[in-house]
Amino acid sequence: MKIKEDYLLRNVAGSHIVVPVGEGNLDFSGVITLNDVGAFLWERLQSDTTPEELLSALLAEYDVKSDVAKKDIDDFIVKLKGADLLAD
Amino acid sequence: MAKLRVAQLNVEVEYKHPTMIKQAEPYKADFERPNIRVSISDESMERMKEENPHLNEDELEYIFTGAGFYEALLEFNGFMLHSSGVCMDGYAYLFSADPGTGKSTHTGLWQQYFGKDRALIINDDKPAIRLVDDVLYAYGTPWSGKTDKNLNMRVPIGAIVFIERSTDNRIREITPNEAVPLIMGQTIRPAQQDKMIKLLDVLDTLLRRVKVYRLGCDMSFDAVKTSYEAIRVREGQ
Repeated sequence: MKIKEDYLLRNVAGSHIVVPVGEGNLDFSGVITLNDVGAFLWERLQSDTTPEELLSALLAEYDVKSDVAKKDIDDFIVKLKGADLLAD
Repeated sequence: MAKLRVAQLNVEVEYKHPTMIKQAEPYKADFERPNIRVSISDESMERMKEENPHLNEDELEYIFTGAGFYEALLEFNGFMLHSSGVCMDGYAYLFSADPGTGKSTHTGLWQQYFGKDRALIINDDKPAIRLVDDVLYAYGTPWSGKTDKNLNMRVPIGAIVFIERSTDNRIREITPNEAVPLIMGQTIRPAQQDKMIKLLDVLDTLLRRVKVYRLGCDMSFDAVKTSYEAIRVREGQ
């Protein structure tokens, strides 16, 4: 599981901003804003990973209960799929 | 090739039609080396004519030399914000919105209310923004959209305001989170990653220093008072 190529995540004045880049991506003109957890997960999803790896990374970084973290990850993946942002 | 000085950059532009000849005149300068070269080949002019059959060569030359300049501007800590920029007491206030919303109308009201000698239109449609010597400036350029209102000057930016039509007048400051998508919707978005990073880096500095607002307004002097009182830079703060 991996985020599609040609998206750029950048911190702009404290906000996590994702914008499309690359010639093949001109039809999408939006901007995605992420919260801290979203940006953390996005960074990990720039290389191939699994929901299990995301969970252990999130638990290592944030003081959060396992079931809450798992739900955050599931929700995030559903959103990414809905927006067609995942490769394969 | 004409030599112009635009936004503190040496710009060589090739043009031959009346709109550009007139618009470029106040920006003529002399220099040895250009920072930016803008020209439209006969081949691309033919292609643009096919793609934009409602525009003539004069209009296409004006639009696409501007597009060339603004894309190159990304290499120099700058970008274009689609907005009407008014200079008032030493600060630039940029009113941005989709075409037809009334940004020129709003800055025109500033001129009526405060007087044309006090409220100056820097650029009525496409001011350049640059970070130079750690100051964020708005610049007049030869490319000011459908009106010829622009002045060859630079002014520190006081505020950026996104306007929408409303039956009453109200204004609120917005966060960078809300401002970034609005700004990205009113500039030329580069496709290349390196240019996008440069754009986002300028936005990072801009949004840390310059306040951004949303204004709902009608076309009255009350709209002017509402925006001016909220956004004006008060010295010493």
